[in-house]
Amino acid sequence: MNGVPLGAYIGLSLFMFTTGVVGVIIRRNPIVIFMCIELMLNSVNLTFLTFARYQMASKPDDRIAMQNSMMAGQMMVIFVMAVAAAEVAVGLGIIMAIYRLRDSVDIDELNLLRG
Amino acid sequence: MNYESIWLVLLFPIVGFLIQALLGTRIEKMLGRRALGAIAVLPIVLSFVVGLLITLNTKGGPEATANIANLGKWIDAANLRIPFEFIVDPLSMTMVLIITGIGSLIHLYATGYMSEEKDYARFFTYMNLFIFSMLVLVLGANLVLLFVGWEGVGLCSYLLIGFWYKDLANAKAANKAFIVNRIGDWGLTLGLLMIVALLMKNQVGSSDGRYLSYDSMLPALRTALEHNPGMATVIGLLLFVGAAGKSAQFPLYLWLPDAMAGPTPVSALIHAATMVTSGVVLLNRMHVVFEMSPVASAIICAIGAFTALFAALIAFGQTDIKKVLAYSTVSQLGFMFIACGAGAYWAGMFHVTTHAFFKALLFLGAGAVIHAMAHNQDMRNYGNLRKYLPITFWTMILGTLAICAVGVPGVFGFAGFYSKEAILGAALANTHAQMEGIQVGQIAGWVGLGVAALTSIYMTRLTCLTFLGTEERWRNIPAADHHGHDDAHADEHHHELDANHTPKEVPPSMWFPLVVLALLSVGGGFVLANNGAFEHWLYPNELPILGKVSTEPSNIPLAMYSTIAAVGGIILGLAFYLKGLPKNQGFDESAWSPLRRLERDQFGYDHAMTVASVEGGGDIANALWKWFDNLLVDGVVEGSGKVSAGIGLLLKRFQTGYIRLYALMMLVGFVGFIGYFAYMLSQGGH
Repeated sequence: MNGVPLGAYIGLSLFMFTTGVVGVIIRRNPIVIFMCIELMLNSVNLTFLTFARYQMASKPDDRIAMQNSMMAGQMMVIFVMAVAAAEVAVGLGIIMAIYRLRDSVDIDELNLLRG
Repeated sequence: MNYESIWLVLLFPIVGFLIQALLGTRIEKMLGRRALGAIAVLPIVLSFVVGLLITLNTKGGPEATANIANLGKWIDAANLRIPFEFIVDPLSMTMVLIITGIGSLIHLYATGYMSEEKDYARFFTYMNLFIFSMLVLVLGANLVLLFVGWEGVGLCSYLLIGFWYKDLANAKAANKAFIVNRIGDWGLTLGLLMIVALLMKNQVGSSDGRYLSYDSMLPALRTALEHNPGMATVIGLLLFVGAAGKSAQFPLYLWLPDAMAGPTPVSALIHAATMVTSGVVLLNRMHVVFEMSPVASAIICAIGAFTALFAALIAFGQTDIKKVLAYSTVSQLGFMFIACGAGAYWAGMFHVTTHAFFKALLFLGAGAVIHAMAHNQDMRNYGNLRKYLPITFWTMILGTLAICAVGVPGVFGFAGFYSKEAILGAALANTHAQMEGIQVGQIAGWVGLGVAALTSIYMTRLTCLTFLGTEERWRNIPAADHHGHDDAHADEHHHELDANHTPKEVPPSMWFPLVVLALLSVGGGFVLANNGAFEHWLYPNELPILGKVSTEPSNIPLAMYSTIAAVGGIILGLAFYLKGLPKNQGFDESAWSPLRRLERDQFGYDHAMTVASVEGGGDIANALWKWFDNLLVDGVVEGSGKVSAGIGLLLKRFQTGYIRLYALMMLVGFVGFIGYFAYMLSQGGH
């Protein structure tokens, strides 16, 4: 389909996800960590869309089944975006609160979970 | 009345107990002490009347075993059923008549004796509860109900010994009685469990699971033990340990003398007439077991004879009038066990009966003396009391003659004469009690004959020191300082014995029981022994295994010997003590002969036992505390805590608080997890 192979989509998605994971682990700034989380979510979204498209293409005879499989993948992406938006809203609120409390948002200084 | 009315006999005392316990103090305030005393005596009298009516309709023999009144379920397990069932047979009814008959006389006496005490209601609460428990003990138709009564009387005994609990010595005596009795209960419990185990294993006895009910248990035991005399010996000896604890036999006798710390009516009722004879009742109930074990019988004979001798000797070293009677009781109980060991179970019960008459009389007489002598119990302060207490004196004389077993053979004898004669005769005439070829029974018979002489001597000593002679020794006690007139009036009731004291005869409520018991002590034996009436009433048939147990040794003129022992002992006693207190038995105890001092100290046995058990036990407990509790138990408990704490310290290092580390761990874990499953799936070929 359009000459872009499935492996390219999956490869891009993997790259984005790995970038997100590494970012979450190594960065200190919570804003950047959030961006990395978004990156991970979006890589998942990309996978969803890719598979939805390829599913549709695999059922050329049955129009209803074709539409259903496409819709399912795309709806999932809508949900993920909604959840991501909510998460950012809450997360940024927490970051604001922490900043007011400690005048800093450096992740390494927030070791309250230390045993 | 037929046997099904037996529940009435049990009902009256328990109702009396509830009234005394719940309403006693209120009744005392509203109606006075006399009314409360009457309410306490009444249930026992009613029980006696009902018991008497039932007894008139009771026959001995095989049909008696059917007289079981079932009052309902109690323990109802799959293989074992123990109902509330009560047996009406000659043995139980004999005891019922003794308990309620003597019991009502002693209750009546106690209304007078305790009239100056506080806690009048508490006293009669315990007394009525005791009567109820004792009735359960003798009437219960299975060993478990017997055990319930057994523990009930033990509890009441404990409560009544410690009645004046504010005195530490009394509380200690009560504890001692309770603890020593636990040893006996241990034996009884084990014996009981052995019987259940034996019968259940052999599948004999009751088809409906009533393994411990006498009617099914006794024939079954005979079958089960027939070819197993060793088992019979084990069960017999375990039951005897129980009997020895309750009936104060040698290794376990030492609680009974201390039990005299209780009020005198208690000593008369519980520690002389009824509770201490329950061991003899148990041996009579379970006589099948002992018939089958000559070894156990020999041991019972030996212990009985030794106890009789040992306690009679100790009685010589006592100056407390109640202590003399206490050791006399232990000694007489030894006689009963000689009879049971020799196989003459009925003779043991006969002595229980006559002993109940005369020992209750002697204790109540001693109580009257103590009452008249301002609660001073030392015979060295008495003397010439016949002048002041004529009724007490004459009744006590009759009681003394009864316990000394005075009688003219073939004509007439006091109560003890017949029972002691039967016991000694049975011991000398039978060969049942033997061990390793030694005729223990016959040795016990000869020892018993000697103890009979000793009994006469120490009882004469008691009578002489208390009632006879011309010296009124309390006159030597310096008179106490007289307080002001008002003070003297205020503690009139509790003044000390001093030279100005004048003993007064006791009130009718106290001397009336004395007179009744004196009549029983004089004529009771004669009536009951008439043509073997008591024996035929208790055991109408020959014993199942021993057959006919003779009480007349063929080649020994026992009647002559025992008369010589009884009368000779009295003459010896009079020769020693008629003139008054001998110089070498006075207040200066260092002037006593060494033997008498040994006897005073119970030959060191009590002391040794107390040291061994209390101090030795204390040392063992200390060692256990230090080594077992502190090291082992605490080690395990605290050790487990310390190990978890150590593990926690180790794991704490991983909790750095850095979010990214946690995220990394999650990632590694997740990747590992997925990898593992991917690997497994690829191996599975999917």
